[in-house]
Amino acid sequence: MTRNVLRVCFPWVLGVWMVAVILAAFFYAPTAQGFKGESSRIVFFHVPQAWVAVLAFCVNLVASIRYLRGRDPLDDARATAAARLGLVFSVLATVTGSLFARVMWGSFWNWDPREVSIAILLLVYAAYFALREMVADEERRGTLSAAYAVLAFVTMPFLIFVVPRIYWSLHPDTIISASGQLKFEMESRMRQVFVGSLAGFTGLFVWLYTVEVRLARVRISRARREEV
Amino acid sequence: MPIPESLIWVAAVTTVIWLGLFVYCIALDRRVRRLEEDQ
Repeated sequence: MTRNVLRVCFPWVLGVWMVAVILAAFFYAPTAQGFKGESSRIVFFHVPQAWVAVLAFCVNLVASIRYLRGRDPLDDARATAAARLGLVFSVLATVTGSLFARVMWGSFWNWDPREVSIAILLLVYAAYFALREMVADEERRGTLSAAYAVLAFVTMPFLIFVVPRIYWSLHPDTIISASGQLKFEMESRMRQVFVGSLAGFTGLFVWLYTVEVRLARVRISRARREEV
Repeated sequence: MPIPESLIWVAAVTTVIWLGLFVYCIALDRRVRRLEEDQ
């Protein structure tokens, strides 16, 4: 009963929450100094999207390890759903990042280390799906893709956190403040909107992931019934 | 193409992304609920 109420209410609460976040991002948060035009506002969406992508790849790793230990098809479905969402949110982070790059640096793509590393990460996880498509046998496909997911995850912290910090980058690191100071400092209204957006995008991920897993559960039980 | 610096352009892209994901999720949720009920 409570679960059903939650299932019905959650999307609408999330919808209202994110409408409030979008409005706040454009009308409540001040424009950050040191950015061209209104480009700083894209940070309220770009960073949460990147965060959700990292979260999704972490879930993919956990589900893959669980699959390798138990060979439960539902764990394979969980891993696939997480990887798919990770890929979608990585693409969205790339698109919003490109938009920011166009405003700030005059071009959608600048071969910046952070742009290149996200492109490599996209290729790494796109290969995960290519691998899945190549193997017909279900268990073999699950095992191979789970093993690949573990290896793919090893590259993720390097590509997201290490590589962009080793090389000189156009990408602003932690510079986002109303005063334009070059240190990690966010004006309180900006922080409120930023945290609200992080929560909203995390909620969206949880919702999408849950729905995809429910769909996989239905498919698996249907396939089992057909086998019998 | 609108001027990239304009608030409207940034707002439009972010809103379209959010709305797209939300509508996709609503549709998927309904589909899954129907399948669950069928079962």
